[in-house]
Amino acid sequence: MKTLKLGIRNLRRNFRRSLTTALSIAFGFAAVALFSGYTREVYRGLTEQAVHGELIGHLSLARRGMKLEGRLHPERYLLGPEEIGKISEIVRRRFPAARVVPRLALSGLASNGRVSTIFLADGVGAEDMKALRGPRSDSGALSADAPQGVAMARGLAALLGLKDGDDASLLVSTLHGQANAADATVLHAYSTGNAGLEDKAVFMPLAMAQSLYDAPGRADHLTILLPSIALSGSARTELASAFAAAGLDLEISTWQELSAFYRQVKGMFDMIFGFILAIVLTIVVMSVTNAMGMSVVERTREIGTLRAIGLRRAGVVKLFVTEALLLVLLGCAAGLLLTLLVRTGVNAAGISYTPPNGSGRVALRVGLDAGRMLFTFIVLGALGLGAALFPARRAARRPVTESLAHV
Amino acid sequence: MTAALFELAGIHRRFALGETTVHALRGVDLSIARGESVAIWGPSGSGKSTLLNLLGLIDAPDQGTLRFCGQDVRSLPDDALADCRNRSIGFVFQTFNLVPVLTALENVMLPLQIQGQGDSAAAARGRDWLDRVGLASFAAFRPDKLSGGQRQRVAIARALVTSPMLVLADEPTANLDSANSSAVIDLMRQLSAETGVTCVFSTHDPRLLEHVPRHVRLVDGRIEDGHPEARP
Repeated sequence: MKTLKLGIRNLRRNFRRSLTTALSIAFGFAAVALFSGYTREVYRGLTEQAVHGELIGHLSLARRGMKLEGRLHPERYLLGPEEIGKISEIVRRRFPAARVVPRLALSGLASNGRVSTIFLADGVGAEDMKALRGPRSDSGALSADAPQGVAMARGLAALLGLKDGDDASLLVSTLHGQANAADATVLHAYSTGNAGLEDKAVFMPLAMAQSLYDAPGRADHLTILLPSIALSGSARTELASAFAAAGLDLEISTWQELSAFYRQVKGMFDMIFGFILAIVLTIVVMSVTNAMGMSVVERTREIGTLRAIGLRRAGVVKLFVTEALLLVLLGCAAGLLLTLLVRTGVNAAGISYTPPNGSGRVALRVGLDAGRMLFTFIVLGALGLGAALFPARRAARRPVTESLAHV
Repeated sequence: MTAALFELAGIHRRFALGETTVHALRGVDLSIARGESVAIWGPSGSGKSTLLNLLGLIDAPDQGTLRFCGQDVRSLPDDALADCRNRSIGFVFQTFNLVPVLTALENVMLPLQIQGQGDSAAAARGRDWLDRVGLASFAAFRPDKLSGGQRQRVAIARALVTSPMLVLADEPTANLDSANSSAVIDLMRQLSAETGVTCVFSTHDPRLLEHVPRHVRLVDGRIEDGHPEARP
């Protein structure tokens, strides 16, 4: 029997009901697709912010215990030039295109000669920083030609009344607890993208940091930039084995583990996505159940006739399930169209907003998350099938004589 | 007389109707031979439709034996009964019971498609039967565009398209005017004669009774004793 043809014609026969049901599916699908498209863009932005903005890179290596004990006993936990060389060789042997970046963090007081305020500095080589910045290479750049040149967060520069090219003094405590100071030139004031760091952050050349900290050639951690962000997980596993085999006791963290903000925002959006999906699925299930339930009741005598002329119970179930799946398919197709239209409109409108903890406005962009859209389609299909199955099975199991006598 | 198509012995059928139980059939014994035409008649509530439902294998007796082609149908699972109905029994309903979203031709093709026949073969056979019932030019019409008589003729074509052994017609002229009733009766007589199919009617219509050689009168769920059954 031509189940599909019958399904299409029955949907057309109850046009208004089919339209209402398909529209509820379409709006639900579009809501989920647009939200997942928006979160995809947010995740993309957060990933870029973490990897290139916060210079976390893809992987971070430090001596085991550095995070807990390192600040108390830095001498024990800093990596020396030989270890850095050994680690770099191991990394490059496995990932020739990877970049290993030695880093040294320090803190102290920054002064313009009149007032002082605390700063958190990150020592990194100028070329390494350019590589780590990637698509944001113009933001907070250091220069190999300026060994005392620093990049200063816009808020900190404003606090000290410093402009590009102005001089400042940086006072820190060395590795051995002695005070040390150096003059620095503000090369560039940049936006950190993080409100918490906007009045504190400083990037300085690694050599300058090592000199200030009195730790020549040393680093507190190494940042690895892999050829692809997708390699982060597998590279960590592979490198952990290689380091252990080489007798290096290192802790390796991925960029997701180090970016608490990314994890928190992603966790929150994933929860909201689940919530929206649950609401949409509930509406769709109720809508399809209602449509199929009414259709089954209205067509009871037709079901009786079909059963009388030899259609098996499974054939009746197939008939209604096909109709439900057609509704889901139509609804999702309309939903996809709606998604594309709204997405185009939103992206063209140039809407911007200031995200939580953000230091500047970002564009509201809606992407396309094909994976989540496919997932939503499959779940909607499965639920539509389930919603049709119950009334269809009940109709199929009803005695033929009762169905034929239905008024 | 050829071998029995149906053998019913001691058939009882009861229905629960609220608090009460309706005893629709009370020990019916009946044998119907292949090629016979039988009219089941009697007053309303006498059990005609119940008996027809049992013969159509869409209902089962509470008690007694019902044999179709020598096989006790109570032992058959639901799918086997559906297949048996599809291949061996054609139904003509009082209210036509055509599928409203299908054309006349598609309605006639339906039993063949349920069998799994291909579209072209089913369509050719469907057209042939529509032609035989005089509706070749209405093949593309949906039921709501056909008159009552035309709908019943489509239903007759649908009932016969699988070349069944038996056609069951439940009050086939009840919803038709006299002209259409006569046309349908003539058509069924003609097709019955041509195909040799066994026909069982339930009817009140004296015009239909006139054309059916054997009458079975039901009263209060029993075949009335002593009623003269005209046999061929």
